[in-house]
Amino acid sequence: MSLLPAPLAPVRPAFLTKVTPAARLVAGFTWIIAAVVTLDPAVPARLTIAAIVALVLWSGLPLGRIPGRMAPLGFAILSLTAFSILLSGSNTDRSLATVLELGPVRVTGPAIAAGLAIGLRVVVIGLTTLLVVGPSDPTRLADSLVQQWHVPDRFAYGSLAALRVAPFMAGDWAVVGAARRLRGLQPRGPIGRIHDAGDRILVMLVSAIRRAERLALAMDARGFDSGIRRTHFRELRVGWRDWLTVAFALAVAVAAIALPS
Amino acid sequence: MTDRPRPVAIEAEGLGWTYAGRSRPALQGLVFRVEPGRVLLVLGPSGSGKSTLARALAGLVPHTLPGRWGGSLRVGEMDVATTPARFLGERVGLVFQDPDSQLVMARVEDEVAFGLENRGWPRSSMTVRVPDALAQVGLAGFERRDTATLSGGEKQRLATADVLAAGPSLLVFDEPTANLDPPGMHATLARLAELAQRREHTIVLIEHRLEAALPLADDILMIGEDGRQLAFAPAGSVGPEAADLLERSGAWVPQAWRRERDPIQAPPGDHSGAQVLRASEVRLDYPTDGAGTRRALDGVSLHVRAGERVALVGPNGAGKSSLLFALAGLRRPDAGTIRLRTLPRGGVAAQQWRDPARVPAGEVADQVGIVFQDPELGFVARTARGEVQASDAAARRPRPQRGHGEGPGLPSSEGVLARFGLVNLASEDPFRLSQGEQRRLSLAALALRPPALLLLDEPTFGLDRRGTGAVLSLLDELLATGQAQILATHDPRLLPACDRVVALDQGRKVFDGTPGTFLAAPPYSPAEPWRGDSAQPGRAGVRSTGRSSR
Repeated sequence: MSLLPAPLAPVRPAFLTKVTPAARLVAGFTWIIAAVVTLDPAVPARLTIAAIVALVLWSGLPLGRIPGRMAPLGFAILSLTAFSILLSGSNTDRSLATVLELGPVRVTGPAIAAGLAIGLRVVVIGLTTLLVVGPSDPTRLADSLVQQWHVPDRFAYGSLAALRVAPFMAGDWAVVGAARRLRGLQPRGPIGRIHDAGDRILVMLVSAIRRAERLALAMDARGFDSGIRRTHFRELRVGWRDWLTVAFALAVAVAAIALPS
Repeated sequence: MTDRPRPVAIEAEGLGWTYAGRSRPALQGLVFRVEPGRVLLVLGPSGSGKSTLARALAGLVPHTLPGRWGGSLRVGEMDVATTPARFLGERVGLVFQDPDSQLVMARVEDEVAFGLENRGWPRSSMTVRVPDALAQVGLAGFERRDTATLSGGEKQRLATADVLAAGPSLLVFDEPTANLDPPGMHATLARLAELAQRREHTIVLIEHRLEAALPLADDILMIGEDGRQLAFAPAGSVGPEAADLLERSGAWVPQAWRRERDPIQAPPGDHSGAQVLRASEVRLDYPTDGAGTRRALDGVSLHVRAGERVALVGPNGAGKSSLLFALAGLRRPDAGTIRLRTLPRGGVAAQQWRDPARVPAGEVADQVGIVFQDPELGFVARTARGEVQASDAAARRPRPQRGHGEGPGLPSSEGVLARFGLVNLASEDPFRLSQGEQRRLSLAALALRPPALLLLDEPTFGLDRRGTGAVLSLLDELLATGQAQILATHDPRLLPACDRVVALDQGRKVFDGTPGTFLAAPPYSPAEPWRGDSAQPGRAGVRSTGRSSR
């Protein structure tokens, strides 16, 4: 009775699934930095096209499920863009030509450009994150962070273990809610709802801490973080695909900035 | 690292342990010696320090958990108190009770490798040992599987492979089957028996399913409620005095040793009452990944009368929890109907039926109640007294004359606290109570306004014989008020305490009849797991005739 939607995972072998997560992270950063440092909306627009092409050709992700999963983000981006356009300072500049006028609201060309630039940046960040995280499971990301970037074991594998028990917490949340409903405890009014949510969270916290204690004890019993230098069952080696990915991403980022508008 | 492990001896001399912040010792004065390659079965009631002994053997006590150590414990040539935990950990493998909070990795082979990586094994050795360990527990070919998709029994076997991979000299199992359904329990114990026969490891087993565990044991250690040793003897020569001591401590006792009356008696309810629940052709689907659905319930019909106790059994995933949720109105069926008889109101005996999903919040507590396997998740108040009063305080109708307190007239919360043995704990935080106390409180919380239909998910989980007896006698009292009870359980020992057994398998009802008929011929294959540990007919006192209640 899992309440969490299944994570997006590759459904077919693809180029990016064979690239180490650390290399994908570096490649992704070049695009995010390029999108954030420029004011011209053309740069994030080009990167959006590049990210879509990469998702379709090289990610191996089930393309049909991506729009559904990105819908909440898409809604946020649309509202962000709309507000950025409507509230832009250049709308009050009478020297600029009016593009659209709705009663008291006047929209100018530069306002639209600025709003689009803001919205498209978030689009680039979202799609790039999907390209970085989507093509491999969290275990490989943790392996990559520890082996290539020397992130502490305790942080990387501890987080991984926490991620594994998250679905159980969703189940606990449903049980807590069910128990309260059947005792006739129905929150009344906004204050009641806040109280009710607080009580439910308290119960969840107790349960989560007990679960974490058991898991930590089991990890300790198997020698986790006992002072011995950890070895790796799945070794990640930097290969030609990693270098190619980073070089290609960098070239696209540079081109997106340098091309004339 | 490459040579095979050798079993080691275990030697305790005056072993004691008190957890930091506790005044009562968890263990005191244990003296025993287990020869290499033997199987030690540890018996004792809840809270007797059995798990503490398991933790001490693996070095978690005293090296990870804080507290005060006394006496000595030796595993082979290692003194536990002075040997760094990492050396102990290489020689001792510990398998815990809960399959869902001891696996770390998402993929099976990564999970087995995790402990080897932690100990700095070279990659070449790991690639040999990982498949080898999986094969030893019957999970060859599972290397690439996602650990979240395994059954409970498969998870416990994986946890066994995890510790076997390192080649330990001592294996410690702390109630490895407690969370499993009968097929999972059977498979896990069968693998354990194979391990024991090879004599390559010394094995310490803590287990409540005694009829299955006893044949594996070479030595028996009994610990009492206060953490003191009651007896230590070879399995074949446990005297009647020792068995007697164990029985009086409240622990589960093997059938062969039992002298006292079994705490599990036939239900007292008069189940000729009116029907209170009618569920017809209930179908329930869960959306799965993508566009498909998984059918959790498929055409299940169930009628239950007032005063009747029904056991709901079946392997994990058979649909037991889904059915409880649907009967409580927490999940609308996709097809079929569920109807509860409305309660008499204003002196008029109502003959109406209504959908549990439509019962208003102010009335639901009188109509249907549920107790989950983990009582903590159901607590709604900050004190035990508040817990008992909560449903009544929230209800918008006067209490029906069916409560369970003392004296004439309406019951009081103080009366309920007294009946459930919670008077001294009335002001305690429910989260600070012991496991047995939490169970009793979760039932006491439903006693002031007993719901007409009570649903229970594994109501005796983790309880010893005394705790189980206490819960059943409280349930008997509620049953006597005309309540109907549906009790989902994996424990065949509870079946004789029910009027009827309803078995589910893959979402369908496959059996509906008396406990006697069910235990004589379980509708599953293999049937063995269901018979293995149940009370023998005639042992459990008079069994109800289990009249059909259709």
